[in-house]
Amino acid sequence: MKKNLLSSFFAMAFMFIAQGMYAQTVNGTVSSEDGPLPGASIVVKGSGVGTTTDFDGNFAIEAASGDVLVVSFVGFSSQEVTVSGQDQITVFLEPDNELEEVVVTGYGSQREKEITASVVKVEAEDFNQGAISDASQLLQGKVAGLQIYNRGGNPNAAATIRLRGISTVGANTQPLIVIDGVIGASLANVDPSDIETINVLKDGSAAAVYGSRGSSGVILVTTKSGREGRISLTYNGQVGVTEALNTVDIMTADEFRAQPGATDLGASTDWVGAVTRQAVTRIHNIAAAGGSGDTSYRISANFRDVEGVLISSDFSQFNTRMNFSTKALNDKLTINVNTAFTRRQQNNGSMESLKYAVLYNPTAPIYAADYTLGAFNGDQFGGYFETLGLFDSYNPVSIAKQQLNQGNKSELNYSVNAEYSVTENLSVNLNAASQVSKYSNKLYNPTTLYRGGNATSPIRKGLAEFYDQTFSFKLSEIYGRYTTEFGNTSMVLTAGYSYQQQNFEDHFLSLGDFPNEAAAGIDFINAIEYSQDLLNAGFIGANSNATPDEKIIAFFGRANVTIDDGIFINASLRREGSTKLGAENQWGVFPAVGLGVDLNKYLSLGIDKFKVRLGYGVTGALPGPNGLSQQIRGFTYDGGQGGGSSSPSRDANPDLKWEEKAETNLGFEFRKGKLDATLDLYSRDISDFILQRSVDVAVYPTGTRFENAGKLNTKGVELALNYQVNDAYNTGLVLSTYKTTLEEYVLEGGEMRANLGAPGQNATAVIKVAQGQEIGQIWGPVFEGVNADGTAILSDINGDGQLVVGQDKALDENVDFTELGNGIPDLELGWTNQITFGDWSINAFFRGAFGHSLVNTFRAFYEPRISTQGSYNYVNTELAPAGLTQARFSSLYVEKADFFKLDNLTVTRNIDASSISGIDAIQVSLNAQNPIVITNYTGLDPEPSLVDIGEEGNGADVLSPGLDRRQSYFASRSFTLGLNIKF
Amino acid sequence: MKSIFKTMMLSAIASSVAISCTDLEEELVGDITSAVSVSAPAVGGAGGGGGDALAGAYSQLQWSGTANHFSYFSLQGLTSDEMAIAAKGGDWYDGGVLVEMHRHTYGPTNGIIGNTWGGQYGGIGAVNDAIANLGLSANEINQMRALRAYFYWRLIDIYGNVKIVTQPGQDAPQSNRAQVYSFIESELLAALGATEISANTTFADTGLPASSSVYRINRYGALGMLAKLYLNHAVYLGSEDAAIYAKAAAAAKMIMDSGVYQLCGAGCSVPNLGKRPDVAEDPSTLEGYAAVFAANNDNNPEHIFSVNFDEATAGGMNFAQMTLHYASQLTWNFQDQPWNGYAALEEFYNSYENGDARKANNFIVGPQKDYGGNALNDFAADDPGGIVLDYTPAINELEPNSLRQAGARLGKFSFKQFGRPDMSNDFPIVRLGDVMLIYAEAHARSLGDWNNAETLAAVNAIRTRAGVATFSSLTADTFLAERGREMFQESSRRTDLIRFGKYSSGTWWEKGPSPAHKQLMPIPFDAIQSSNGTLSQNPGY
Repeated sequence: MKKNLLSSFFAMAFMFIAQGMYAQTVNGTVSSEDGPLPGASIVVKGSGVGTTTDFDGNFAIEAASGDVLVVSFVGFSSQEVTVSGQDQITVFLEPDNELEEVVVTGYGSQREKEITASVVKVEAEDFNQGAISDASQLLQGKVAGLQIYNRGGNPNAAATIRLRGISTVGANTQPLIVIDGVIGASLANVDPSDIETINVLKDGSAAAVYGSRGSSGVILVTTKSGREGRISLTYNGQVGVTEALNTVDIMTADEFRAQPGATDLGASTDWVGAVTRQAVTRIHNIAAAGGSGDTSYRISANFRDVEGVLISSDFSQFNTRMNFSTKALNDKLTINVNTAFTRRQQNNGSMESLKYAVLYNPTAPIYAADYTLGAFNGDQFGGYFETLGLFDSYNPVSIAKQQLNQGNKSELNYSVNAEYSVTENLSVNLNAASQVSKYSNKLYNPTTLYRGGNATSPIRKGLAEFYDQTFSFKLSEIYGRYTTEFGNTSMVLTAGYSYQQQNFEDHFLSLGDFPNEAAAGIDFINAIEYSQDLLNAGFIGANSNATPDEKIIAFFGRANVTIDDGIFINASLRREGSTKLGAENQWGVFPAVGLGVDLNKYLSLGIDKFKVRLGYGVTGALPGPNGLSQQIRGFTYDGGQGGGSSSPSRDANPDLKWEEKAETNLGFEFRKGKLDATLDLYSRDISDFILQRSVDVAVYPTGTRFENAGKLNTKGVELALNYQVNDAYNTGLVLSTYKTTLEEYVLEGGEMRANLGAPGQNATAVIKVAQGQEIGQIWGPVFEGVNADGTAILSDINGDGQLVVGQDKALDENVDFTELGNGIPDLELGWTNQITFGDWSINAFFRGAFGHSLVNTFRAFYEPRISTQGSYNYVNTELAPAGLTQARFSSLYVEKADFFKLDNLTVTRNIDASSISGIDAIQVSLNAQNPIVITNYTGLDPEPSLVDIGEEGNGADVLSPGLDRRQSYFASRSFTLGLNIKF
Repeated sequence: MKSIFKTMMLSAIASSVAISCTDLEEELVGDITSAVSVSAPAVGGAGGGGGDALAGAYSQLQWSGTANHFSYFSLQGLTSDEMAIAAKGGDWYDGGVLVEMHRHTYGPTNGIIGNTWGGQYGGIGAVNDAIANLGLSANEINQMRALRAYFYWRLIDIYGNVKIVTQPGQDAPQSNRAQVYSFIESELLAALGATEISANTTFADTGLPASSSVYRINRYGALGMLAKLYLNHAVYLGSEDAAIYAKAAAAAKMIMDSGVYQLCGAGCSVPNLGKRPDVAEDPSTLEGYAAVFAANNDNNPEHIFSVNFDEATAGGMNFAQMTLHYASQLTWNFQDQPWNGYAALEEFYNSYENGDARKANNFIVGPQKDYGGNALNDFAADDPGGIVLDYTPAINELEPNSLRQAGARLGKFSFKQFGRPDMSNDFPIVRLGDVMLIYAEAHARSLGDWNNAETLAAVNAIRTRAGVATFSSLTADTFLAERGREMFQESSRRTDLIRFGKYSSGTWWEKGPSPAHKQLMPIPFDAIQSSNGTLSQNPGY
């Protein structure tokens, strides 16, 4: 009944009404050499009437005598059967051995063999399973060279995605996401369960046609779509439990009490336990798909309720997606309309409460009422105890429970694609797309919160902050495609124009100093009119920004030539302009060319496949901020005198030009029998990279500006292997490695980046960036032991008898520093295992990274037995040297973070549902994420840290990998039960 | 039908390409890109209603290290015998740069030295921009030249050999210290409308006016700067010249004799904004020396040229954060928790006799109480006195494990209740008390006699205001000590120690003799690296 309603709705909505009169019901069976084929499609040719076979391969369809039934099933050759009075039709489908994979490659698609670049296709069945909260997790570890790390796994944090390491030091470090052919959408607006395939364009020659936005690689997402035939309904539900996998080793209350100098406050509290929980995840997806005639559609609704292991961190998301496709004008015009909408409410939680849980005095009670050593008035603090008067020491439970940090996000994408076949050889495409995403955040530190809520003040307490931002993106593209053949050569020519515009604006308001009377019973964030800052207007924080129209305009052309069905040439040229560069340098020309040869065709090698391909492509990259070619000025008021003036706040660089990435890729594809192998070798040069650098302040009064500052080279190797051991067991391995070198840099003496920060480790930058050297060096003194006075013994590395070990002397010639590790892994590995027996299947996915190090900042700050630490808690790993009473950075806190883990284990059972009417198939699965992790790293999470988030946790420095900051979310392990029903 | 559609589609394509085509002009909508200045017309349209175009340039003083951490103030104070930041276990080690400042083991990569350089050149850049782009009046240009000369005075004092840049975006070769000296002198004289300074100097009408807002440079502000330059000439030029000391004395004397400014003594008072209502020992007013530096010192008669600081509209003074213990937040109900960094050296604290009003005002010592007058707990049991906070003048060690409550705290610019991280006390660049001591010293040096009557009179006026007995005689050492007591926390001490030959050879707590080249700071590593070879390093580094 419901199904009929739905189909009627669509039929009416899109004004395609099934036509025709039917004389009879034709029954039949579809089978293959393996027996009956459930789910095969039967369509009355030219009518739009269709159905699919049931579990036993049976079907029934209304058809008149003379109608032609088209019977098809993926992986089999279609068959046509003419109805001629028979009431039982038996169809036997032959496997389609010639089936050639078609791969979407940007402004079109190609047969897999024609591709000359490094392109990897991942299908839904190969995705990571379980409680996936972000589409990027589907691919983690699956594609050689694609790095996806969400350290700790905060459900409200996006993963860092990198293709072949660093691609630019500017803003656009993440690959371009293209959803159903439309660029610019975000992965956050695609529910993982709506995705059918993902193609990753790895090298420059493939991505070049997308221009600067594809400079960091391209991830093409194809969502599921409807098929002609009856409506299919799918339900997919999951329930999962997540718990903290690993915490920092700290002392218990009793261990702490036994330390000399420890401040005993009389209670015993497990702070980490108090701010973490077993978190529950619930996911429901419902999708309906179908079609008739030339029209097909799919709609889905997705609900995700995800709790984080940190109390008060969660999100709840509702997402819908509609894909609609139809043909008109004698099938010459194809129109696709896609829309997706996501609404999300999230409680961000406070990362600080995780940090304070690690370092808070374990003998302090959670609640003031439990403090036994004296009087403590907890009313002021909402009943919580606080160690007033200590630096950076706040009751973590009080923060987690009292602070409101709530975000609301909505994102809408819609796109229309029209393709018109002018002639058999010529088609014209129009793409129009729009994206709007809005995020607003409310932060409220109530009047009883010590941390940030000024609860100690008698009359001015609390802080309310409001933030909202709007991002919008418009895309208009037109391109034509011309196909021609001469002799044994076929050619596809594509030429087009692309216009992209994005805008961003945000607003911020903060005010506080609310009255003493918390007993008013309201949260003042809902009544900011009572803020005393309104009486002292200078205390109100307000800020708004709007970017100019950020435009990218491009003209592009491409030729795909196939000679003799064995030699493939792809070449493209893109002329691209941006508003962000100097007036004389706005336009750049970016070529790409690729050659592929099916060697197996020309040399009789006795194998199934041997293809060699070579690609070279250049793309441009742009800086993040706008207006860099112009001088920006600030305005200062003349303290109440009624005047004011502007003075420079950012120096201009009118000569700023395109950063260019040139990449050469050599690939080999091999298949023999059950073994498949792909090997890629690449070298990537990023020249004129755009970076904010310090300039001569005597000439440029703000001291820094954005310049084309140097050149980076990355060389890498990627290997993907797949072996079908037998019918039941398939295994696949992907391996990748790369090295990035800073070949040229305007700051010839190098620089130190990534300051550790307060307390006590300011002016302690630990990552060295220098010309001619590798990216990611952790640079510091070598720890040898402990002096009798408790200070560290550091090595005289250069043996000159003079110990130069101050961190600010890091770049001095005679410094006794060395490379203590590198933040970038030497080798990354993903190992897939698929075992099937009967109705059961097991998917075990292992993942590892080797050779990278991390600066364990929790240890660097809180492990030494320094005098002050006795007021907090000690980090207490097995690496803690006895008697060290000095906190200073050295090799002691740099740890190898190699790991190998069973990342994802899924056991699935298909249940025979043929006896249940209306249900086609049922699948039940049990999934475990991170069930086994093997590592010697003592910190929270050994996953590489590719971007430094900075002291405050809000930065993004790609030149400083290797820091495990104290703002990290706790890593977790989860178990998920899944149910999938097809109706 | 088909052809109509085709035509429509093609024309749509053509027009869309034509319209959007290739326009890439970047029009910034959220940033100011033009040089603007606004001054409000007076009521009735008579003009000159207040306000000028110089706010942007003067505001550079707020952010160039005058009263915040890790720049000019830190450089001038931490290298001297006034104050130190001890490493307190897990706090304030900071890569060793603070200990380096104290022990004079700093080098070109020390961040404080780098920030100080950037701060002063940032100010110079803003001045050059104002002169070139804001269409200033003659008086405003004079002020800007004097302000620029002041930034260059900081540079000559610290780095010696620097680039003299006077046009926006225009590079200049590195000058030597004597050239920078001449430049500063000629700029200040030009701004004053004078050719040289002597007792008989007259000022052209085109020069700086004799009166102005305390936040703007007038004749006396510029004379004060000139007096400081002349007083230190031997350091900058390499040899002493009695005639130049006489010029310093003459410049100072003109200010003293102008009658415009008075020492703030008895009866010169302001309400005490730091008073806790329930704590009887907190005075309700601040009088004399204390009033000069109070949070409401806006109209103090001693100020000649000051940096305007305000908690809401003119940030950049962070002394409360920089010096006070975390727990002291509860004494003054600060919005933010202080950082527990700077403390006075015990020996320096003890150089004040009891009863010296300056001792009471300049330091915070002893057991602390909260807003209500109750004992203040720091919840740290590793220091004497248990969990009560007690500031002790003695500091147990410089590193690595100084007690968190050790050291007398910097209280000269006193704190107000409900204070913000940015304080409201104005910071005097030129004040009469300083000018009188400049006069006393310059006059003595020009005569070669510390015990001349004029010098003694000026010094004793300062001592009398502080409530301590007058001196009957002076030596260089007793004068330096007196100047130290008066000028504590006013970024003067490093310069004074160098002038008296005590900076590198002198020894004090945790500091032995240092090589003489340390009197000049190194040119920062970053500055040399980004200068494309146009800057060379000072000798010894």
